[in-house]
Amino acid sequence: MGRFLARRLLFALILVLVVSSASLLLARFAPGDVTAQLGPFATPAEIANTRARFDLDRSPAAQWLLWAGRAIRFDFGDSFLYNRPVRGLVGRAAANTAALAVVALALATIVGIPLGMFTGSRGGPAAAVVRGASLLFLSVPPLLTSLFLVFIAATTRLLPAGGMTSAGVLDTEWSAWLLDVAIHLPLPVLALALPIAATLERLQSQSMADALHQPFAVAAVARGVAPRDVIARHAWRVSLRPICAVYGLAIGALLSGSFVVEFVTAWPGLGRLMYEALRARDVYLVSGCAAMGGLLLAFGSLIGDLLLAAADPRIRDAQVGA
Amino acid sequence: MGRTGPAAEAPVARGGQIVASIRGEPRTFNRYVAADQASELLSLLLQARLVRINRSTFELEPWLAETWESSADGRTHTIHLRPGVTWSDGMPLTGDDVLFSLRAVYDAKVDSVLADSLTAGGQPLRAAAPDPQTVVFTYAAPSGRGLRLLDGLPILPRHKLEPALTAGTFASAYNTTTPPAEVVGAGPFVLREYQPGQRVVMDRNPRYWRKAPDGSALPYLDRIVLQIVPEQNAELLRIQAGETDLTSSELRPEDYLPVRRADEEGRLRLIELGVGPDADAFWFCLKPEVKAKDPRFAFVQRPEFRRAISYAVDREAFAETVFLSAAVPVWGSITPGNTRWFWPDIPRYPHNDATAKMLLREIGLVDRNGDGVVEDMKGTEARFTVITQRGIGWYERGTAFVRDELARVGIAMEVAPLELGALIQRLQACDYDAMYYRPVMTDLDPAGNLDFWLSSGPSHFWNMSQKLPATDWERRVDTLMLEQAAELDPMRRETQFRAVQQIMAENLPVLHFAAPRMYYAHSARLRGVVPSVLRPPVLWNADSLSVSP
Repeated sequence: MGRFLARRLLFALILVLVVSSASLLLARFAPGDVTAQLGPFATPAEIANTRARFDLDRSPAAQWLLWAGRAIRFDFGDSFLYNRPVRGLVGRAAANTAALAVVALALATIVGIPLGMFTGSRGGPAAAVVRGASLLFLSVPPLLTSLFLVFIAATTRLLPAGGMTSAGVLDTEWSAWLLDVAIHLPLPVLALALPIAATLERLQSQSMADALHQPFAVAAVARGVAPRDVIARHAWRVSLRPICAVYGLAIGALLSGSFVVEFVTAWPGLGRLMYEALRARDVYLVSGCAAMGGLLLAFGSLIGDLLLAAADPRIRDAQVGA
Repeated sequence: MGRTGPAAEAPVARGGQIVASIRGEPRTFNRYVAADQASELLSLLLQARLVRINRSTFELEPWLAETWESSADGRTHTIHLRPGVTWSDGMPLTGDDVLFSLRAVYDAKVDSVLADSLTAGGQPLRAAAPDPQTVVFTYAAPSGRGLRLLDGLPILPRHKLEPALTAGTFASAYNTTTPPAEVVGAGPFVLREYQPGQRVVMDRNPRYWRKAPDGSALPYLDRIVLQIVPEQNAELLRIQAGETDLTSSELRPEDYLPVRRADEEGRLRLIELGVGPDADAFWFCLKPEVKAKDPRFAFVQRPEFRRAISYAVDREAFAETVFLSAAVPVWGSITPGNTRWFWPDIPRYPHNDATAKMLLREIGLVDRNGDGVVEDMKGTEARFTVITQRGIGWYERGTAFVRDELARVGIAMEVAPLELGALIQRLQACDYDAMYYRPVMTDLDPAGNLDFWLSSGPSHFWNMSQKLPATDWERRVDTLMLEQAAELDPMRRETQFRAVQQIMAENLPVLHFAAPRMYYAHSARLRGVVPSVLRPPVLWNADSLSVSP
């Protein structure tokens, strides 16, 4: 197990290095640079000063070397947009995204897996309705879901139309702050969780149907085990394998932030920060966000592997032996 | 619509907070080193100037300076500071703070974005403080703008910032990581909290010096929250949902109808601010050193060619189609929104395709091969690409409209919308044929926009930062504008500027088609709103805003 974890840690480090370096260089090579934020008629002196401050007056290789040398010491440079160190910005945004991701994943799991077990083990109109709804949520782009939810929130005024906290929460106790965050969560959480719940439902449904046709399940039924027990005690665990494989990817994708959902719902997370950084060609913020996204993706992948190992002893044995 | 106004106001209620949305993060709390919209707005709320240009009447008002006298030659201005004014931390505000602020603006290490605009005759302003309440400004040359120049100078506290200036770190002072309590000012509000990506919170400055007409303390509000909402549709939804009270900028033409409905239902107030001071602009790159080898430059540089384009575009239809009727046709850079400097008799080019074709013929552009596009004698087609900013509805509609209009007279134009960064890169390198954009004038007084009018200016966008004027008419404009900027007699200034507008209208380095009418929305509970066509349309007067109980 130790070797397995060490290997995954090495993988994470390589992923972070490659993703952040590639982001830095791509942001550097893309047309225009951060000086566009100074406006179309900035003076040559202003442009030159800004380019020097962000090392854009050096060659891409020299800039990368300088950045990498600082990054080893956890100094990821300054953001032009926010005019402050990237490290603090990325850390705070990652925490906000993590809060969103954990709740969205929990909701998607609580909704998607039981519904998948239901549709995988039964037919009838109710299962058809669930399948239809899943297909709908899978096919609607997150942008539309987000805009629709924000529109509903704005017109009904049942929920805040965006943001993470209300303006009035400043002088309140932490419990009131937490409650305020909870009130702001449903919109982005639903926009993120609905397609994942639909994915989990579809996978679980297919996997459960396959498991129920396996010889062990057929034998259990033949032995007179109640159908509910066959599903809960025998088939479900076997059917989890494809779910765990996807789970790792879902965790990674959620933790690294959703551009669209966070932007439309004004959630101050990693996805929105990355989007703003890319739009402004804020090179060091882009690479900082990419590094954190890569790290969280590797973390999600590790969690997925561990879940897979927990669900399937054969994989656990292979990982430990490796 | 238009129900807001002092006459309709109920008795002013004190206390409460308003929430305004802004689209971008403030880059700093130090206006001296940043010109972004959020930093400028924060400077208005946290700092005070010596004088203020009223954004509604455009008149000069006493602010930290209570009174002043100016010498007959316009070079010496003696100002008397309002007695008893203190900074938000309780220290007295004196002439030393004014001198310190000027020193900071002109400090080479600070490299302030305000330095260029605080000059007279191209030289920095000099000042002395014979006593704590008096400051004497000496201008190197007379300035037609007089003390209006000082509206652009937020006064900063010497006792807090002098160590940073001495140490050469002033440019990073009052940055967004500075503890809020350290950001001392003389504005109506003090910084309470900044959460990146979320909001800036400002509380009432209990030591603010300005009083209401009844003698009571201002500001009325206890708190202003600037909520950061980067997406414009989300910004509109939030104000409609009652989560915010106002936005930081005007409405887009397409937002007018839903907001009017909300106004009719009593949820929002829709205000027509009037015609905006900035017109759209369409121009060709006219830099000879870049374009000389381009065979099309032979006719693009001819004023007749650009006049033909001006005749070919139906401005009435342009305003109707591109701005959904929320615009007025214009023929020059100064729009009817700039009431002081607008010249209604500027030469016009009424829509006339026949005249446009005749002008093209006069310079040898005729459709010789019958393909619908005119060519010169050598067969060079009048075919161009116009670049504009991607994602802004009316820019894209505007370029498409011009393309269709010009096609009728035989000028072929393709439209290439670009990301802002790429657009600016092309502009600065003169790597484009034509461009459509809406540059924003920094000052309503033309003498405050010499960077646009002078051939050496960095905003002289058809041929930026020329060492010597490229054309004779640009040389004449340079001379007239420098005279106008130094002239003290308002009538003579007006005459000189009309001559400039006449030259520009004849040579058309930039074509203007329409100036948008500006609309603004705020919550129905907001009181004391005095709208302005300048940004910020409402918060410029934040100390007099209140909310209904």
